Amino acid sequence: MGANLRRWLAPVLLLAAWELVGRFDLVASGALPALSEILVRLWVDRADYPAHVTATLFASGAGFVIGNLLAVLAGLFFVMSRTAERLFRGVNIAIFALPPIAIAPILTLTLEGMTPRIVLAALGVYFVTMQATVTGLSQYDTRAADIVRAYGGGRGAVLRLVQIRGAVPAILSGFRVAAPNAVLGAILAEFGGGGRFGLGAYLLGSLGRGEPDRLWGIGLVATVIAGLSYGVFALISRRMLGASISLSLNPAAPPGVLADRSSPVLSVGAILMPFAVWWVILWALNVPDMLGKTPWGVVDYLFLADSAPTAQSRLLAALAETLPITLVGMAAGLAFAFALAVAGRLTPAFTRAFLPVALVTQTMPLVALTPLLVLLLGRGTAVTLWITISVTFFPAYVMIAQGIAQVPRAALELPRAYGATGWREMRLVTLPASVPWLFAAVRLTAPRALLGVMIAEWLATGRGLGNLLNQSRGYLDFGMIWTVAAVSVILSVILYLAAQWTERAVLRRMGMVGRS
Amino acid sequence: MTAPAGIQLSGLTKTFHGRGKLVEALRDVTLTCPPGSFTALIGPSGCGKSTVLRASLGLEPLDAGTVEIGGQPPERATAGGITGVAFQDAGLLPWRTVARNIALPLEVLGRDTGPAAGRIRDLIALVGLKGYEDALPGELSGGMRQRVAIARALVSEPRVLFLDEPFGALDQILRRQMNIELQRIWAETGVTTLLVTHGIDEAVFLADRVAVMQAAPGRIIDIVEIDLPRPREPTLFSAPHFHDLCDRIAGVLHGR
Repeated sequence: MGANLRRWLAPVLLLAAWELVGRFDLVASGALPALSEILVRLWVDRADYPAHVTATLFASGAGFVIGNLLAVLAGLFFVMSRTAERLFRGVNIAIFALPPIAIAPILTLTLEGMTPRIVLAALGVYFVTMQATVTGLSQYDTRAADIVRAYGGGRGAVLRLVQIRGAVPAILSGFRVAAPNAVLGAILAEFGGGGRFGLGAYLLGSLGRGEPDRLWGIGLVATVIAGLSYGVFALISRRMLGASISLSLNPAAPPGVLADRSSPVLSVGAILMPFAVWWVILWALNVPDMLGKTPWGVVDYLFLADSAPTAQSRLLAALAETLPITLVGMAAGLAFAFALAVAGRLTPAFTRAFLPVALVTQTMPLVALTPLLVLLLGRGTAVTLWITISVTFFPAYVMIAQGIAQVPRAALELPRAYGATGWREMRLVTLPASVPWLFAAVRLTAPRALLGVMIAEWLATGRGLGNLLNQSRGYLDFGMIWTVAAVSVILSVILYLAAQWTERAVLRRMGMVGRS
Repeated sequence: MTAPAGIQLSGLTKTFHGRGKLVEALRDVTLTCPPGSFTALIGPSGCGKSTVLRASLGLEPLDAGTVEIGGQPPERATAGGITGVAFQDAGLLPWRTVARNIALPLEVLGRDTGPAAGRIRDLIALVGLKGYEDALPGELSGGMRQRVAIARALVSEPRVLFLDEPFGALDQILRRQMNIELQRIWAETGVTTLLVTHGIDEAVFLADRVAVMQAAPGRIIDIVEIDLPRPREPTLFSAPHFHDLCDRIAGVLHGR
């Protein structure tokens, strides 16, 4: 009973504080309304919601189904053919790293109606589920597989009888993590793509009206949808597997760290593949040249055309604004995550109170969060930094906390036997042992940091790459839209690869093998 | 059951690179198991006895040497359903019931499992798991899982049985019981059996002949004929002649 009470105490206190702060307009002269005010506004606006919610649910639902279907099939394919896996590695990393906001305008240019929303939702779920499928299929019981092979069963039989069923828990956990991503993707596309219905469109329409209670209401509804979608799959996997639940929003299991001896042909192929896919899609959709720029079209725009020098200088100026804050935001997010994880170990009570709040900010779609943060923090650098921290810290925290939790008890007992406690024990054993996880966190958060910065720039500060994208959309400067999209994807991939490269180098020096 | 088939291993050789140096896992391993015989393969850990068994089933590629099971190469023999196998670890599929785990080889071989239902029930009874037909492996103890693996090894009515320390994880008492049980099954079915073990008494109790292996390089250094009369009773474990044979094998193992 006492423990139960304590568990509820923190959230209740928090809600009460929120109510008080809102009632008396204590934050940014009313930018944070009281929960009751938001709920009242929700009731007033109730006639607006069904159409918007239905549109968002449809787009994210369709994207979820299509994206997951492709992801599971791709995962199967990659497990069956290592060559294919290596060849598509570039495409996979690009899909993982691509900032949805950068390609939302492109999708609305080249596709029609609901399709861009569905595509973006599908892109949001693809990597998570593909990775989960590959992991699930690869980590099968080799002894059971030996039995199948000992009766003359080939790879097909092993796959059918041992691997696929064994991968179901992993795939289900992939679905669970992917579900909020689908909602986020759909809302982003609605936001960036016009159209009348959808929570993103509703948000966009309400932005200029200075009604914080409505913005918060939309954010709340979006959060509930994303949170419910997570909850539904958490429930399904619990029902089906009877496994223990995990408080994990880990956006993706990191792709294999171990360097395998890759042939140069395959490596070049892996680098060229994303560009080939880009080309083929444009060709297959029969997009007019003016609208759809091929890789060559972007090179032409940026280096060969008459307007190239102007384009270059605008792009470089934008990069000079975006890049530093991305790195700073990423570092801050990681530092925050690290501090939180360490604090969680040293003072578990604090973390238990804080985590539910963190979880809510994670299921809250970024686009919905941003206008609210603008209301709270204004349109300066601070808002960019906060948004970047808020998108990076949670996945990083989950990773690092997992790393700290997996340190074997036996390793902890040695320093404890000599009287080391608290921080000293952490410094000697826990932190060094969780270094691989820390690096995995860096790798995961790098692309997210860029996404956060670009969203903040687009919606709030009017600077950098995000703003350049938004402007180009307004001017119908298709060359620049494609260029910004391509550059931001490439930048994300570079950040990811840089993190991965550092990870390998450090782990090798420390004599720790990377987790595969 | 059709006539048992024999096992013929000739000149099995396998080396692999381990951290810059060549490791000779097997050097010229030759062993003949006549149809219906019971052969035990014994040796220290790392001597390659499990590799011999895996190679016999075609699970391990060889640098040189040939395997013949009933005159066929291992790939043909296993896919033809001549062989049965149980490994040290049961390797059960956690989502299948006991009965469905036992039926797995039939599915791999592409046989109909329906008509085999009766035999699967008999096998479950044979290994003492009556009433556990629909239990999941997670609900069984380690010894029970191992017995499911034994039943699974017999479900395809094999003519050649490969056992890789199938009782290694069991306690001494259960191990003795299973040894007696295995002898009975072997006597009833006449299945040619190759048992990998590191228990000297187990090898002597069960086998017609014990092949002793040595490590680095993995090779057979001696083959000891076991001339004890059959059927062998549990009292044999305390007979002087039994101990003489055990001592002799221990002597070979320790290079005396």
